[in-house]
Amino acid sequence: MTNDCVKDSMFRKVKVDEAEREHLDAPMTSVLADAWYRLRQNRAAVAALFILAAIVLLAIFAPVFSRYSFKEPDYNAIFALPDKAHIFGTDQFGRDLWVRCWMGCRISLMIAVVAALVDIFIGVTYGAVSALFGGRVDAIMQRIIEVLVGIPSLIIVILFLMAFPAGVGTIIAALSITGWVNMARLVRAEILKLKNQEFVLASRVLGTSSRGIILHDLVPNAVSVIVINVMFTIPSAIFTEAFLSFIGIGLAEPQASLGVLINNGYQVLQNYPHVMIFPAIIIILIMVCFSILGDGLRDALDPQMSR
Amino acid sequence: MARYIVKRLIYIVVTLWVITTCTFFLMKKLPGTPFDPERFASMPQAQQEKVLEMYGLNDPVPVQYVKYLGNMLRGDLGTSFTYVNQPVTGIITSRLGPSFLIGAQAVLIGLAIGLILGILAAWHHNSGIDAITMIIAVLGVSVPNFVMAALLQYFVGLKWGILPIGFWTNWKCSILPTIALSFSATAMVARFMRTEMLDVLNQDYIVTAKAKGLSQMRILMFHAIRNSIIPVVTILGPIVINLMTGSLAVESVYSIPGIGSLFVDCIKGNDYPVIMGITVFYASFYMLVILLVDIIYSLIDPRIRLSKEQED
Amino acid sequence: MNKRVLAGILSMVMASGMSAVPALADDAGQELDVAVNAEVKTLVPWAASESQAFLVMNQAQEGLFRMDADNVPQPALCDKYEVSDDKLTYTFHLRDGIKWSNGEPITAQDFVYAWLKQMSADATNGYSFLMTDYIVGGQEYNEGSGSEDKVEVKAVDDKTLQVKLKNPTPYFLGLTTMSMFFPVNQKFCEAQGDQFDVTPDNMLFSGPYKITEYDPAVGATFVKNDQYWDADNVAIENAKVRVMKDSAAALNAYKAGELSQVEITGTDVAANKDNPEFSQLTDFRTNYLQFNLTDPVMSNVDMRKAISLAIDRKTLVDSILADGSAAGTGLIADGMAGDGSKTFRELNGDVSPYDPEKAKECYDKAVKELGSDAPKEVTLLIGDDSVMKTVATFIQSQLEQNLGLSVKIDTKTMQGRGEQMDANNYQFGFTAWGADYDDAMTYLDLWTNGTPYRGNYKNDDYNKLIADAKSQTDDKARLQDMLDAEKLLVETDAVVAPIYHRGHAVLTKSNLKDLVSHPIGVPMEFKYAHFE
Repeated sequence: MTNDCVKDSMFRKVKVDEAEREHLDAPMTSVLADAWYRLRQNRAAVAALFILAAIVLLAIFAPVFSRYSFKEPDYNAIFALPDKAHIFGTDQFGRDLWVRCWMGCRISLMIAVVAALVDIFIGVTYGAVSALFGGRVDAIMQRIIEVLVGIPSLIIVILFLMAFPAGVGTIIAALSITGWVNMARLVRAEILKLKNQEFVLASRVLGTSSRGIILHDLVPNAVSVIVINVMFTIPSAIFTEAFLSFIGIGLAEPQASLGVLINNGYQVLQNYPHVMIFPAIIIILIMVCFSILGDGLRDALDPQMSR
Repeated sequence: MARYIVKRLIYIVVTLWVITTCTFFLMKKLPGTPFDPERFASMPQAQQEKVLEMYGLNDPVPVQYVKYLGNMLRGDLGTSFTYVNQPVTGIITSRLGPSFLIGAQAVLIGLAIGLILGILAAWHHNSGIDAITMIIAVLGVSVPNFVMAALLQYFVGLKWGILPIGFWTNWKCSILPTIALSFSATAMVARFMRTEMLDVLNQDYIVTAKAKGLSQMRILMFHAIRNSIIPVVTILGPIVINLMTGSLAVESVYSIPGIGSLFVDCIKGNDYPVIMGITVFYASFYMLVILLVDIIYSLIDPRIRLSKEQED
Repeated sequence: MNKRVLAGILSMVMASGMSAVPALADDAGQELDVAVNAEVKTLVPWAASESQAFLVMNQAQEGLFRMDADNVPQPALCDKYEVSDDKLTYTFHLRDGIKWSNGEPITAQDFVYAWLKQMSADATNGYSFLMTDYIVGGQEYNEGSGSEDKVEVKAVDDKTLQVKLKNPTPYFLGLTTMSMFFPVNQKFCEAQGDQFDVTPDNMLFSGPYKITEYDPAVGATFVKNDQYWDADNVAIENAKVRVMKDSAAALNAYKAGELSQVEITGTDVAANKDNPEFSQLTDFRTNYLQFNLTDPVMSNVDMRKAISLAIDRKTLVDSILADGSAAGTGLIADGMAGDGSKTFRELNGDVSPYDPEKAKECYDKAVKELGSDAPKEVTLLIGDDSVMKTVATFIQSQLEQNLGLSVKIDTKTMQGRGEQMDANNYQFGFTAWGADYDDAMTYLDLWTNGTPYRGNYKNDDYNKLIADAKSQTDDKARLQDMLDAEKLLVETDAVVAPIYHRGHAVLTKSNLKDLVSHPIGVPMEFKYAHFE
């Protein structure tokens, strides 16, 4: 039986339009733009972002627009309770706690940001390289970590403070020496798990460089672990700084971080609780917001978490 | 496996030597002497010299280092400078007991509560238990442990009078410090467990398991938990090390003769033999825990075990 | 399998932890419990330099004399003594029947052994000067140029101890109440070797109490010493000194009835002022600024005076510290001995006053004199202690406010601060000195040797005054020398700026009576205490 119904004339040769072939109905978006879009869908994360922005703005501008200076003492208003003149009350020297809290917030946020950056840049890279190369490289890199952790960091911090003037910069530098180690170990573990999976193999077969594999295949898949760990690094950096002040080798007066303010408040907790409560609330607020934002970021960045 | 462990143990010895050497030379750069600065300053020069000589502090640092290493190889960590005539090993072991006890209890509590909360939170994602878990997770890391310790002491110890305020007389005294210490561990474990579980629950094999009609419980017990616990094992190393090597703040609030305060004291007081002793202990403990974690890791991760079987 | 391994490790850990927990303390009702805020690191007499150790040793040992409630030395292990007419030779007669806790008699040789040990090169506590400054031959023995038998501490017989002094020393009996002067049983000490006084088993006691448990980090447990000569007058059977580093925790423990007395600090002092259990005294301890006279800025005397005059000490102690500390109106602490009817401080008046106008005048003068060397900022070196930080912050604000001089606070560890001062690497430092005995000389003697730690102060007039005071047999002339010396040091030369004298505030359970505290040297006496 012949099929006469179908004739060549019934077909029209389609011209391949290269541009058309790549056409997407949705607008072109980069990974980041996409993540940003998804983050905006998450109402809690957006709220956290706004609160954090408010805290940052307050930290920058509140001290500038206050009538009080963070170091000006007022011996007639020692341990004043919060009122109209002093929103958060005053401390042992009659210094305005509202201004001091936001000044402290500046320093703590600075420490937090640097700690997070060190974690992300040094920690993640170190862990990823160590895991991906494996073998001898991995063994040596792990031993280096062990040596860094093995030397008591307090000795290093004291020596740092002997060699350089006591200040935020020195403290941050001292904290950065070992701050990234946990992240490196965690990322290494995660990537050890991922590196034998098919998609990495495929990528390798396609000739992607190690750098490409780390940046485009492994890190995005480890993003949830990275984000949560940053969430732990931030408070631990803030509190390590406070610990240094607690044992007496931290920031020099009249400078203070949130951690130092909490420490000072703790000394008078039973008699003047307001001195500790406000910096504590700010620090908890920062943590909560970072935490929610972190979750949101993870959902937005992690391709597997998309609904 | 055995070969791997032996290899790692050799690494540990070499690394330990590097750490000892670095610490020794860095420590000698710490300012001052092991003696009361005010009193030492008021000693005549001649007596200062004699005292330094008696403690072998007049030798060049490399000579001191060689001597120290020699003694260490013979298992002698020396005697303390500030705890006069007391052997370093004795001081460290007596301080380790309390810190280990509290630390181990805190790790257990943190692990138990953290895992349960994490699993429940992930299983009932976006529910009340999830919210509570997140609140605990955030508070646990953002409230400093000395504040937690002080609050527990004030309310549970003083106001309600349920547990001892401090001192180190019987097991009851270890309860409050354990709780104070376990908050951050609980928070970390809960957080990691929840996230990892959520990750795993989205994986294809869970969907497959569901499709096969496995019961919820079975999926949870045999597929989800087992696969999500791996990163928790990784953070377990640092948690164990943090908690069991003592916390200065918790120890001072509860008057516990632990190793955390000893460490800070001896560094600030330039008690060289004790600094070295603790460093050696701490570094070996750290590396052994890491090794242990790596071993546990290979035992529970089916993928790693698979690759090992292929090797054999 | 892994679970079992883990469980095994943990149970091992638990076991090792529990073994470190001593048995439950017996609840024998009236136990005297006090707390110290730092560890009792050593009880070896010639190595211990901290007040916590002095406190413990003072209950377990005894010297020739013991301080009474009014800080007057009373005969203890000696019951009679004679002083030669030139006030240089002391002959002590030991009490009959005094025994060590193992029943052996306490002899004059035990004192000789202990004192020689303290004067030898073995002594690392830095207190040798308390003997070598006074006892003939001590200095030479300590420096290695003299021999042991040239040191004039002699056991005439088992019951008689004779000491020859270089200069008349009116406070010598007070010195013998200090722990370095307690006897040590040579035979026992040498039998223990380097373990002497390390554990209770290696200790022998001469005082009202025996130590039954001792752990540097926990404290010491005492039980009454039946061999003590005055045991009949020791009322309390059991006592404890407990290490509690956190002051809030110690207060909680006191409130919960776990301590009989607690020292309170900071804001707790003001909060407890009206509590009937509250009491306070001012320690013979001066916290002061030490200027470095070789520093280009601080070599200017007007600059030093300006700084001292610009600090409002009264506001500091009343509002900032508010812990019972007293304003530093001079180097010699309030209450220290003067001429018998008046204290030294009352006699010499306020030599370090607060006067912002005069301060500004001095400052302007100093700036003019210094010319291009005039500082924009000065650096204050302090140690890492929270009270020190508070005071430094106050000084910083005062100098800024009253002089327009900005101050950088350089915080170092205590050891680091000490080294920097020793190395002459500071402008001015905040430091303190506690009196070792109730006499102005305990302070004034420090500035005679011109070391960097003491600001490189070298003034012949000053040294002459001190030397004269030391050799004076006339108490009045001696006192006048010291009054002049303090004025010269603090007011005229402004080498130091006294800031405050530390307060010591305590809460004591109302049924505990006569727990005596001293403002110097040995801090506390359990011997006289009793419960009602």
